[in-house]
Amino acid sequence: MDSKTTVNDFLGVLKEREKELNCLYMVDEILAQQQLTLPELFRKVIEVMPPAWRFPEYCHARIVCNGYSFHTPGFLTSSISVKSDIKADGRPIGLLEVVYSEDVPKTDDGHFLDNERTLINTIADRIGQRVLYRQMKSVLSDWSQANKQPKEGGGGGGSNDAWKIMLDFFRQGDHELLATICRKLTNYLLIKGVEEASEILSMTTTRGQDDEFYTNTPALKEPIADIINVSERAFKLAERHLGSDEILVLVKKWIQEANSFALVKAIGNISPSLHDIIEQIRKFQNVLRGDELQFSPKERWLNVGLISHLLSDRHDYIDVAKQHISFKDFFDIINRIICPARSQGKLGGKGVGLFLAQRILANDSDNTPAFRDLKYPKTWYVTTDTITEFLHYNNLEELNEQKYKDIQEVRIEYPQVVRLIKNAPLPPEIVRSLSVALDDFGDSPLIVRSSSSLEDQAGAAFSGKYKSLFLANQGGKKARLDALMNAILEVYASVFSPDPIQYRAERNLLDYHEEMGILIQEVVGKRAGKYYFPLFSGVAFSNNQYRWSPRVNREDGLLRIVPGLGTRAVDRLSDDFPVLISPGQPNIRVNSVPEEIWKYSPRKMDVINLEEGTFETVEVTDILRECGPQIDQVHKILSILRDNHMLTPNRFDIDFQSDTLVVTMDGMIASTPFVKTIKAIMDKLKEKTGMPVDLEFAHDGESLYLLQCRPQSSNDESKPAPIPKDLYENDIIFSAKRFIANGLLQNISHIVYVSAEGYSSLTQLDDMRMVGKVVGRLNAILPKRQFILIGPGRWGSRGDIKLGVPVTYSDINNSAALLEVAVKKANYVPELSFGTHFFQDLVEADIRFIPLYPDDDDAVFNRHFFRRARNFLEEIFPEFGYLQDVVKVISVPDSSGGMTMSIAMNADLGEAMGYLTANVVQIPQDGKNTGFDNKNSDSSAWRWRFFMAEQLAARLDPQKYGIKKLYLIGSTSNGSAGPGSDVDLLVHFQGSAQQMDDLRKWFQGWSECLAELNFLKTGYTCDGLLDVHIITDEDIANKNPFAVHVDNIHEPAHELAMMNPDKAKG
Amino acid sequence: MSNSAYNPYETAQAQFDGVAAMLDLDEATCEFLRQPMREYHLTLPVRMDDGSVKVFKGYRIQHNDARGPAKGGIRFHPMETVDTVRALSMWMTWKCSVVDIPLGGAKGGIICDPHNLSEREQERLCRAWVRQLARNVGPVSDVPAPDVMTNAKHMQWMLDEYETIHGGRYPGFITGKAVGMGGSLGRTEATGFGVIFVLREALNKLGIAIDKTTASFQGFGNVAQYAVRKYSELGGKVVAISCWDNGDKKAYTFRKASGMDIDALTGITDAYGSIDKAKAQAMGYEILPGDAWISQDVDILIPAALENQITAETVNSISKQVKVIAEAANGPTTQDADKVINERGIFLLPDFLSNAGGVTCSYFEQVQCNMNYYWEKAEVLDRLNSKMTCAFLAVYDMAKSKNITMRDAAYVIAISRVAQAVKARGWV
Repeated sequence: MDSKTTVNDFLGVLKEREKELNCLYMVDEILAQQQLTLPELFRKVIEVMPPAWRFPEYCHARIVCNGYSFHTPGFLTSSISVKSDIKADGRPIGLLEVVYSEDVPKTDDGHFLDNERTLINTIADRIGQRVLYRQMKSVLSDWSQANKQPKEGGGGGGSNDAWKIMLDFFRQGDHELLATICRKLTNYLLIKGVEEASEILSMTTTRGQDDEFYTNTPALKEPIADIINVSERAFKLAERHLGSDEILVLVKKWIQEANSFALVKAIGNISPSLHDIIEQIRKFQNVLRGDELQFSPKERWLNVGLISHLLSDRHDYIDVAKQHISFKDFFDIINRIICPARSQGKLGGKGVGLFLAQRILANDSDNTPAFRDLKYPKTWYVTTDTITEFLHYNNLEELNEQKYKDIQEVRIEYPQVVRLIKNAPLPPEIVRSLSVALDDFGDSPLIVRSSSSLEDQAGAAFSGKYKSLFLANQGGKKARLDALMNAILEVYASVFSPDPIQYRAERNLLDYHEEMGILIQEVVGKRAGKYYFPLFSGVAFSNNQYRWSPRVNREDGLLRIVPGLGTRAVDRLSDDFPVLISPGQPNIRVNSVPEEIWKYSPRKMDVINLEEGTFETVEVTDILRECGPQIDQVHKILSILRDNHMLTPNRFDIDFQSDTLVVTMDGMIASTPFVKTIKAIMDKLKEKTGMPVDLEFAHDGESLYLLQCRPQSSNDESKPAPIPKDLYENDIIFSAKRFIANGLLQNISHIVYVSAEGYSSLTQLDDMRMVGKVVGRLNAILPKRQFILIGPGRWGSRGDIKLGVPVTYSDINNSAALLEVAVKKANYVPELSFGTHFFQDLVEADIRFIPLYPDDDDAVFNRHFFRRARNFLEEIFPEFGYLQDVVKVISVPDSSGGMTMSIAMNADLGEAMGYLTANVVQIPQDGKNTGFDNKNSDSSAWRWRFFMAEQLAARLDPQKYGIKKLYLIGSTSNGSAGPGSDVDLLVHFQGSAQQMDDLRKWFQGWSECLAELNFLKTGYTCDGLLDVHIITDEDIANKNPFAVHVDNIHEPAHELAMMNPDKAKG
Repeated sequence: MSNSAYNPYETAQAQFDGVAAMLDLDEATCEFLRQPMREYHLTLPVRMDDGSVKVFKGYRIQHNDARGPAKGGIRFHPMETVDTVRALSMWMTWKCSVVDIPLGGAKGGIICDPHNLSEREQERLCRAWVRQLARNVGPVSDVPAPDVMTNAKHMQWMLDEYETIHGGRYPGFITGKAVGMGGSLGRTEATGFGVIFVLREALNKLGIAIDKTTASFQGFGNVAQYAVRKYSELGGKVVAISCWDNGDKKAYTFRKASGMDIDALTGITDAYGSIDKAKAQAMGYEILPGDAWISQDVDILIPAALENQITAETVNSISKQVKVIAEAANGPTTQDADKVINERGIFLLPDFLSNAGGVTCSYFEQVQCNMNYYWEKAEVLDRLNSKMTCAFLAVYDMAKSKNITMRDAAYVIAISRVAQAVKARGWV
């Protein structure tokens, strides 16, 4: 019962607040109507006021201002009344009053709510500003009018009238402003070399002259009459020396400067509150409405001040932003910022990136008309410090320590943290603002996106680390508000989830104070049937890491496009394919043959189900059958597959029930400027920000919307890898200089090498097919992502399999890279396939494709290595022994004395190199990685095991325990360990029985300890994590089942480096 | 080293030599038929989208046109060799001959990778090819068709260029066009139906009632789907179909002992013949490994997917119950397996007879285009039925009378018909 009452009260408060805000919006609307006269304005304003009060039926309003007096019908003087002075520049010019004609119940605040008092004050304030603005405007226009007359009439009296009008206006009230202008005018004259001005100056400053600075008695106050006299003289003097136009410009500028003073003060404050800044911007905007700014140093100061307070205080950002963002650009967003009182927060990374992009493009829209049609979804910003306020409000500050806890602890506690946060209320002021935001959005579906202050750090992409949540935003206001608050809390909770904490730890960002802003954005889209979604969405990259044709350049960029919501374009997909387009070469498509186009087209799409209020993934075919005709412009993204060719349909061609429809984007490319526009956007942003960019966009069939913009992240897989220098010639396996992407592959333990000579000498098609089969079999047993395939010509050739090994994607899906060798024949170099037969499979699985041109002058191809290396083919598959001149299975450690192979790719240098390197199996690098990898749990499990095995080995004293060698075998060695796997160790033991006993105990301790750690990490329980197999020389001689691992290629044992006792002692 | 490399032309010639020896052909005829009559080697300058010009290599090889205008596809292939094209043109001659349509054999190609070309560039490339050959091809001399990496779009560009040069409408210049652009109805069904037409005749000869038989198919693409449809229509019971699963990247065999409903099945099949596994399971299908199709206890096996599926390894898993194998795919049986099948007395319908429905329909397309009158689908399929039936009977009679395998008989008939035409014309 109680809680119900509270809810009702709360809703009541919300409703009142809503009425008040509505009223305020209406007042603003009315005041903005330039064509209305002042009396008309007054009349309209008092009409909209009573409905905002608690008892509109008894409520009446009156305004007395500027010699006018109006009231709503039924107005009586009453004892129940609230009044507010209307002031223009501090000077009372009138009165606004609200009365109740009947007695009404009192609240704690009295007859009127505090908010109602605030409201009437605010309205009075706005009216005052408007009146002042109107006065100034008319004065200025009189002034310029008056200045024109003498030129037309030829008389000399006109200019006299002009400054008299000005003086009259100031004399009526604003002496302070008059004095300021007067002083500035005199100074200006002095600078211009008008000597007489010094006399006036002495009158306008103080009587004490120069030594005034050195006295310590206060200066006497200047009588008002003097100011008027002095200004009269100043203006007369000015008229003689300056043109009247110049005076007009100067005065306008000084008036604006004077008006910006409050804003300047708000920003210049030591700890400026966002509320103050916003309020002052708003006032200044009212004053300035419609006029251009006239002053510049202060404008720059304001711009930079606002950028650094609202957007980012990073130097490099400000450097770029100040060139494109003017403080007037903030007028638009200040009405949509949600922040706690005393907030000093910012908009957060995502908000900031998009804002800058928007300004850059808007400023260039004269040169590029396409930018004018570009849209941005309506966005409300919750500032970054709202989460701090939220934690404070709920006494949850201790959560801030979470990030310093062990990752295991973070993991264990996370569900509790989520529960805690989701049950804590947001501060009431935030709730009220969210309610206003919801009114603004109406019932359009929303996306609540994280906008972390860390996200704008270059090099930290945080993509997908924090949550973004879709809301259908349907139903009653309360339900919608609840859903919105719930989503915000969920995003807040994600700050404390282990993944981003880990990510921050890896990038040394843990100490940086993380604040989480939130963007509430309208979801771009349209309704079709019960669903809501954009026609298509996608991500765009300035640099294309995946080039499917030699004609596609890195700078041509890359688009990943999916129908529906963009969630599926952002991440790699395991079960579907986005449409890939290179905007610089839109007509060179990845897929060319109809079957390929069909096979690699998106089958699923993400949508919002408005009826269920859910986010869903649905089959494209199903949605097209259900509501195809209702989807605006859908024919532009579809092709019809008919009789083995693709048709680009027009609006009426499609039979949604029976046609085979394929999402190809063909119509968009061919008949709309979409690709050109997006390329122009990327190029412009890259040019202006100096960095390649990564955009998110959506298209609703009508307009292109920009959703996000950030620097193209230098994440690990796309970072240019340093190309090692000074390697021994023999250690270089190959080098390549054409069509290079970025990336680093390490720990390659095996190479499957198909020799060009061997392959072309095969005379039977069956034998060639068999080579494909062998590769497939090897793919199944070699360690995942630790082997590469090298072969001549075109891997995956289907028609004419002489051209390359006939494999399908499933024959190569475990490899780390596919290398095609273009061996020169007679005098031509054959074209390579660039993996076209399964290009998109490679992209989604991140298998790298590298073309090699060994006959290029500066290319290295270490034929000697391949010839000399021992071939394990026959050992592994005796039945394929007859192919050993064609297929070579090389164990890199075996043929290089224990080294592994790395491939460094650097697109900036246009160079790639495969080289032998001493065991770099130590996964952690730069001391940053702790052995965890949260990319996916599977790989994290084995990486952690690998890391711990190395740690353990490093602490194992071989002399003390009589150990010759220590190996890692089994799932941890070959990279397939899961969260429940144990760690298989193979000990080559040569010690005594006592040592054996000690060693077992030593391992036992580790084993139990690791099991506990594993439990904390994963929730899997076991008694011990280590499975230790001890073998002796004798076992090796007898080929004990474990001993054979030592030299076995199928199950390669990985040797672990043990403690160096000498070093340890030293 | 390249001398010892696999060469399809040499293989084709060796095959011809074998049959020629059987036929005891005279030396001149052999010499004449074991190589193409005419070869065009072209260099095709093409203006690229970026303004540059790239020169491509193209071919048209007319192996033999003694029986009628040469007919054969145009391939886009990045590493095309002239020997491949020669071999393929020769096979086209035999293929047209075995179904007894009045056409010769040809093949063409352009060395290019369409993955590196925009559609407009491909169009210019097609037009360039036709410009060079406009006088040497045409409805009465050489009729191209789509092949590897070319489709109706390319044919229509080529047709347009040809007609522009010759100043008229000659839809019979090229086949494989879309319906409405001079394409023939019934083309989609033709190959699959053709397989079943010859199968029907074979069962008839073997004295087996088709409506008492069961069959297992490999593949469920266009050919297999229509074969299954026609076979079911005639009363046969399809109990197993194997097809590729795109998601799992492997094949599965779908089995239903009580027989399959083709309409229900195509309803859960995508455009290139992958059956939805989950939906099939829900409909009561058993899901077996991909290679299980071959070992089913059925009367008829129809490999309709890839080459080299019935091999020395797999041939032994064929059930004793199997009486007929109808090769719907190209070259599904290896030579070793062929021997075993022959020994076991399984009746084999060789690929180039049983899947000749496609080329027969292309011929019909050309005929309709030349008279500028287009038949209804039923008429097309009706004529296909009689063509395939006649073709089967001729091969069957030959095999029977000379006591040779159906495969050999098909080649013997094909080559001897061409040899006769060459002689009749007095060329040799």
